[in-house]
This record gives sequence, structure tokens and C-alpha cells, in this order.
Amino acid sequence: MTVLGGYLGAGKTSLLNHLLRHNAGRRLAVIVNDFGSINIDVALVESQEGDTFSLANGCICCTLGDDLAMTMTALLKRTAPPEQIIIEASGVADPVRIAHYGTMPGYRLDAIVVLADAETVRQRSQDRYIGATVHHQLLGAELIVMNKVDLVSPATCQAVRQWLGIVAPGARIVEAVCGAIPLALLLDLSLDRMAVTTDVVGDRLVDHRSSYETWSFAKDGSLDGARLRALVEQLPEGILRGKGILTLSDAPTTRTIFQLVGRRWSLKQGEPWDDALPSSQVVLIGLPGSIDAAAFEQALQ
Amino acid sequence: MTETTVFTATKIITMNDSQPEASAVAVRGGRILAVGSLDEMEAWGSFSIDNTFCDKVLLPGFVEAHSHSVVGGFWEYPYVGHFDRVAPDGRHITGCRSIAAVIERLRAADADLDDPEEPLIAWGLDPIYFSGESVRAATLDRVSTTRPVYVHHMSGHIVSVNTTLMRHEGIDAESETVGIVKDGSGQPVGELQGMPAIMSVRSVFERLWSSLNASTAKWRFGHIARNAGVTTASELGAAAVTPEAIRQWQLVVNDPAFPARIVIAYSNRFGGPSDPAQMAAQAARLAEHSSDKLRLGTIAKIWLDGSIQGFTARLRWPYYLNGTNGLWYIAPERFREELLAYHNAGLTVHVHANGDEATDLLLDTVEQVLLASPRPDHRHTAQHNQLASADQFRRMARLGMSANMFINHIYYWGDQHLTETVGPERADRMNALATAKRTGVQFSMHSDEMVTPLGGLMLVWSAVNRVTATGQVLGKQERISLHDALRAVTVDAAYQLKMDHEVGTIECGKWADFAVLEADPFAVDAMALKDIPVWGVVLAGKLHPADGRGRE
Repeated sequence: MTVLGGYLGAGKTSLLNHLLRHNAGRRLAVIVNDFGSINIDVALVESQEGDTFSLANGCICCTLGDDLAMTMTALLKRTAPPEQIIIEASGVADPVRIAHYGTMPGYRLDAIVVLADAETVRQRSQDRYIGATVHHQLLGAELIVMNKVDLVSPATCQAVRQWLGIVAPGARIVEAVCGAIPLALLLDLSLDRMAVTTDVVGDRLVDHRSSYETWSFAKDGSLDGARLRALVEQLPEGILRGKGILTLSDAPTTRTIFQLVGRRWSLKQGEPWDDALPSSQVVLIGLPGSIDAAAFEQALQ
Repeated sequence: MTETTVFTATKIITMNDSQPEASAVAVRGGRILAVGSLDEMEAWGSFSIDNTFCDKVLLPGFVEAHSHSVVGGFWEYPYVGHFDRVAPDGRHITGCRSIAAVIERLRAADADLDDPEEPLIAWGLDPIYFSGESVRAATLDRVSTTRPVYVHHMSGHIVSVNTTLMRHEGIDAESETVGIVKDGSGQPVGELQGMPAIMSVRSVFERLWSSLNASTAKWRFGHIARNAGVTTASELGAAAVTPEAIRQWQLVVNDPAFPARIVIAYSNRFGGPSDPAQMAAQAARLAEHSSDKLRLGTIAKIWLDGSIQGFTARLRWPYYLNGTNGLWYIAPERFREELLAYHNAGLTVHVHANGDEATDLLLDTVEQVLLASPRPDHRHTAQHNQLASADQFRRMARLGMSANMFINHIYYWGDQHLTETVGPERADRMNALATAKRTGVQFSMHSDEMVTPLGGLMLVWSAVNRVTATGQVLGKQERISLHDALRAVTVDAAYQLKMDHEVGTIECGKWADFAVLEADPFAVDAMALKDIPVWGVVLAGKLHPADGRGRE
């Protein structure tokens, strides 16, 4: 599960629209506060059941209902349960509290993403009523999407980025226009789909390949667990997301799943290899300059 | 010609300031035909006399402008809360003031269940009163080691469970859900905090949830009202307003045996359109489902913040004693859009604002809305409004707003407010009724049932005494007179529900809705007000004696 937070007007809806249009082949469930400005393309809607829309691309979109926990539990009971859910937190909600729902049985917290409107976030953070709420939301983020960077000057953009770095020291920061960031950053995709490509935003083509770097690594057989942990702990700040299906020397018969979002990472036991040939595969996505392929490879060999 | 019945009573306290007292009231077709002495009734022709109340005191039926019907669902299960409550069937249920008392009550309930597999569900637990001791699996295993036990806390956010239930649901050291409380060795202790954790015992939670939404819950709510002398109660936005839910309300409330009028406030928390104008239009359209007893389409509810005792209310500087501040439940911009839409659709908006910073946002926003769209007699009401200060009340008066004050807090949480939440000075001016009166703010008082028990007499007692559960007096300058307190639970509450032309006083033309008391509130000691026995109510001339007392 991914939590999408941020104050009103930060661009959560644009990002969700982006996600529903380009779902990267994943069966997504998007839980929104309301359908307010979500543009559900009528042509794509296969069926509607109460407040739940099923789309032709396999995604569903529903409102919160009586209670988030009950809505999430009901999703798991569907005949084709979603592969990942994205929850739109309300404009004043604490995304970290919403993330707790991702620890319910059947779920795994993937990422806490908070949007910040590059134009207004600093002003909002000073607001008498909601200033503290805005600060708190940013502080809880693993990934901050600094949105609407096309509406500010490069100098302002730089200043806002610096400011975000101070108020949310634990978060990784990326920039976006209309909430269009690579799906590989937002979703837990399979390794072969973790590529940063292009997006159409409005009538423009955005090539993300100039804004992000990807590093892929694959080898037969196992990796040294201690070396891997040492590498991950020393990864540069610009590394945003990582995933791996690995064989570790200390657990050679089962897969070990590596997940990284921002500063948080985990190694969890996966399925046994059984008859399959044990191998190790890792993909990392980062900001330009964050990837030192030679050094990473050397660290693992 | 419709028959006329004249009720005689020791005293009829009308709350109509033009005619404060009477000894007889004539009723025709459910409405009050005349109020005065028996002799004065002659002008209306022949009538029969009903002397059922000849040794009792009549008041206008109490009006509760902020309550929630969900409590009726909880009463399907045993109550283990700290304070005494009256069950829907009229039984007086003593509060469980120790852990031993909780165990004893649960053991009795366990013995009453025939099916050994059926989970034992209980509610109302409030460990805040057990000086730090928790009620967890170790305690609940003393109730049963074979039957699942589930105890819903009063706060609504925590559940205690026994080992059997944890075993059935697979809660163990491996469970990773946030909110499953574990001990130092990593074993779950039987306390589930927050909905993600509570959903770990989904099968039992869903059983409780279906009880809360059943029509029997609504019937019990009516019986609770009757037992407390309340003839008009509200469901202030915490119940669904789906077509099915409304049909259920109609079936229950319009039944002649149902003893109360119910006003249902619209809220969007269970879905519905999200566009504010559409939302407001839908809210207003609900009026077509109204009847004499069931009111829809007049009131809307919006929540701004949390609760003071839950540390989630939004406070002005210097915030809580621990330096924290609470949570917003809606973004200010969105609040303004919703308020304006309801306002333009002609609804009266009741806004939950517990902390004084939330009150500030409410006042700022009502002012903006009134400037954008002036409207006479809007009656927008600040709900709870517990920490409002004199400057805020002055503004409220200028804006033509009403305040519905949560005066029962003084008794139920006053001691905690002194030492834990806001400290003595602000605790003293909590629910500042005398200030509201002085500044000319139209005000009423509410129980927020189920947060505190429904009933006009308890509210009146709290307002004139301001005494906490441990007997301390909080802010005696904010006490009000008995007359003002009675107005605040009758006609002044009816005003906020836009029903003061129909109920709230015993006055020619209004519904014959009475609270029937066994003693005169003006003749008893102020500290005895809450203990005056309630015989029951009269609703539209029909007698509804409280259960457990029997028909006289």
C-alpha cells in the first residue's frame, strides 16, 4: 500500500489521475476521499457497484466508505484482489497514521508519498490554522513530490527544495509537473518493469530519463548478506527506490526480497527456490549523480 | 369533533415566560389546546380529565440538540463503564468502579450465554478511572479461557480482548499490525489500539457493527430518550442517510409506539456527493422524508477537530498542558466551501468545534460566509464549543450564532481537565454558560449521548452546580440559574433544531410533548436535581411511561 498525502491543492488528484491512466499493468485500487476531481474516464469504466468503479485496465477506484479499515478488508475479499492500493489521505490527515493501516494482515506498507505545491507550500506552512499540520505531513514523508515546479522560477524551485530538506530531513525529494513522476517510484513494480521512461503530461512529452538514473544488477547464485547490508546502509541520499529478488549466502535455498523507499529498506524471506536456479537481481532508481555503478558492483562482488 | 383530554398536575412548568406555571393542560389531536387552570379549560367545550399526573410535575419534554443513536446498538451487550447508566429497558445499571467489578459483570454475562462459542461482547470500559491499571488479556482470561471476550472502550478507539479471541484470530508475537500492544518479550497483551488493530478481530467487530446499525438500535435509542424525559432527540450526523437507512428510520420513528421525535442531521462522512453544492442539495432534498416525528433536511453537521479528553481538539496557545495541539478533521478551505453551500441551501449548520482554536476558525468562516451571502435567521450553531472565551462569545452573538454547550464534561472529565488536559484556569471557564448568557448568545446544552448519558436533568444539574465526579467545583462564576438551565434543555435547544415553534414550551398550539417528573425541580436541593425520578413522557398526548416503573 502507498499513502499519498499533502495539503489541499498540492496535486494529489493529478497524480492519481496519472496513475489510473498509466497503471503499468498493475491491478491497482485507488481509495479516494471523494470522487471530486478524479476524472474517471467513462469509456474505461467496466462496471460500477455502489461507490466502487472497475476500470477496463484492471484498476478499481473507490471512496473511503464507512471506515478505511473495513474498505481495505473488503478489497482483499474481491475475486481479483488488487495488487497494490493507493490511499489518498485527506488534505489535513497525517499520512503516517494512514500508513498504519498498511500493517494490517494481507497488506505491506510500500511508501509514504507527500506532495508539496512548490508555489504555496512555504506560505501554507506559516498559516495560523494549518501551518503545523503542513509541517507534520512533510515530516512524515518518505518521498516528497515537489509539484508544479513549472509554475515557479528555477531560483524559487531551488529555495523550496532547500527549505523542504530542512523541514523534512528524512525525506527524499523529487520534482514534478502535474504530479507526473515515474510509476516505478510510486509503485512496487516487478523488476523488469522498474524502468524510468517517458510520460505524456497534457500535450507535452516528459522524458524522465534526464531526471533519474537506474542501475540494474544481476548474477547467478548468491550474494554475501553482510556486503549487501553494508552497501545499502551507505547508499547516497539521491537513491529513491530499490527492489531486489536475491539469494543471500546465509539463506541459499530461499529468495530474499529487498525493498527500499527513501531511507527505509528491508530484507524479507520470500518463496523457496525449489527447482529454480538461485540468482540475484537488484534495481535501484536515483537522482542524477547518485548512481556509481562500478562502486556498487564492486561492493557486491 | 376530536376529543379533548385535560391533564392535571401538581405543577406544570411551561417554560413559556408569558405564563410560567399552570395546573392543567388540554390536549386535542396531539396538540396543546389550552394551558391554565381546570376552570379555564371550560371555554373549549366538553373534555375528559386524565388524572394520571395529579401528583406529578410536567415540563416541556426535554430537547436534545446533540446526541447519537448508536448507543442503542451497544445496549445489546453488557455495559462495563465507570459511571451509572439507565438501560433502555429502565434498569439502573451501576458503573463498574473497579477491575473486580468489571470481571464480575463479565462473568455474569458469560453465564447468561448458552452457546459456548458465542463471543462475549461488552462496552463502555474506561480504564482512565482505574488509576493506571489496564484491562487486558490477563484480566479477561479470568472471565473465560474458552469463550472469546471483546470489550469495546468508551473512547471508541481501543478494544481489550482475551487470549481465546487472540488465538482464534491468529494474533501472536508474529503479528505486525500497528496498534497490537505487546509486552517486553514481544507477546501481545490483549489490547488493540486503533482501527487497523481492531480489524484483527474482524469477525467480532463486524458482529458489533451490525448491531449498531440495526433497527433495534434505533428503538432502544427512543427508549433511552423516554426514560430520561427527552421527547425530541437528534442524530447529529453520525448515522448514514442512505435511502435504506432513511427507510429504517421512517419505519421505526413513525411507529406510534416510538416515544420520541428525531431530528437527523445530514453529514457526508458516509459517502454521498462530494461537490459541495450537490451535497447541500441532497441534504435539503431529504426534507421530503420528514414527518411530524422524523425531521430531515433542516440541519447539516461538519466536524472541525477532535475531543479535549482525547488530546485531539484544536486549542489556542498555549495548547495542552503537555505542549501539544490537536488535529483538524477538515481543511479550512474545504470547510468554507461546505458551510457556504449548506448555508445557501437554507440549512442550519451545526459545527463540531471543541477547542478554542476550532471556535476561531468557525467564527472566521461564518463571518466570511455571511459577508458573501447574507441570510437572516441562519441559526448556525457552535457544537461543544467547550473552551470558548468571552471574546469569542461576543463575536458569536454579533454573528447571530447559537452555542450548544457540552456542560456534562464538567462532571465526567472535569477532574482530568484540571490536571491532565488544560489546567485549572481554562478548566474553570470550560462550557462558560454564564458568559454565553451575559454576552447575549443563544445557547443550549447537550449530552452527546453516548459520550455522556442522555437526559435533561443531568445537564441542568451540571449547569447549576458545576461539580466534578470527585466533588470539586469548577468555575462557580459560570453557574447559571435553574430557569436558564431548564430553558437550555427545552425551548432553547428546540430553537437550534428549528423546532421552537412546535416544541420546547407547554403552550397553546405546540405538540403535547411533556417530561413527567416525580418532583418539582424548583423545590429540591440543587444537588438532587439529577436524581429526580422521571415517570416517562407524553408525546403528542400519548403516554409513554419509563420502563421498569410500570404503567400507572
